[in-house]
Amino acid sequence: MVRGMYRSRTLRRVKVKAPGGKVHIHYRQRKPQAAKCAYCLKPLAGVPRENAKVMQSLAKTKKRPQRMYGGKLCGNCLKGMLQRKARDEQ
Amino acid sequence: MILFSVGRLCLKLAGRDAGRKCVVVEILDDSFVLVDGDVRRKKVNLKHLEPLAQTLELPNNASHEEVKKVFEKMQLPVWDTKKKATPARQKKVKKVHEAPAVEPKEAKKAAKKSKKEAAEPSALAEEKDN
Repeated sequence: MVRGMYRSRTLRRVKVKAPGGKVHIHYRQRKPQAAKCAYCLKPLAGVPRENAKVMQSLAKTKKRPQRMYGGKLCGNCLKGMLQRKARDEQ
Repeated sequence: MILFSVGRLCLKLAGRDAGRKCVVVEILDDSFVLVDGDVRRKKVNLKHLEPLAQTLELPNNASHEEVKKVFEKMQLPVWDTKKKATPARQKKVKKVHEAPAVEPKEAKKAAKKSKKEAAEPSALAEEKDN
């Protein structure tokens, strides 16, 4: 029986084959949910799905697209919004 | 291509210039134009542009400076890339390595001995107390 703290599913389980042929279970931290577009809820491209510790070590330019609202809205939704706004003003 | 004629003010919809205003400087192709203004001077697909009502008067094949003048008249912001100031190169100065000062061995030994002597009597005293 494993330790109590490992019996919850908070940590994900990875099967690792040891040199002797035995399969061991390693417990690793789960990754966070993928970033989603605030408008269409589709997963965003260009935003890495990493734990906070890894994200901290990344450069700002590697964490989100350099577009307006990059990392919040997807390109298509932003395009539609800009178009609608431009057409409303005219 | 009446919509995207030279001098047409447009809104950029894609890329890192999205949401900024630009003007068509040259028509390159059926689907590509050269734009300038509040964006990087760039070849752009028409799918990535939204035409606005305004048109600006531009000379043929206007340079960035000419576009800048027109934009400033209209009180529109202009994209300007600043060249990074390169610092003047410093001449290399040869490093002179100085030999580290080495303590003579005998002096080190003497220092160790004196430390031991200082530590031992106190330890003995503690044992006696217990």
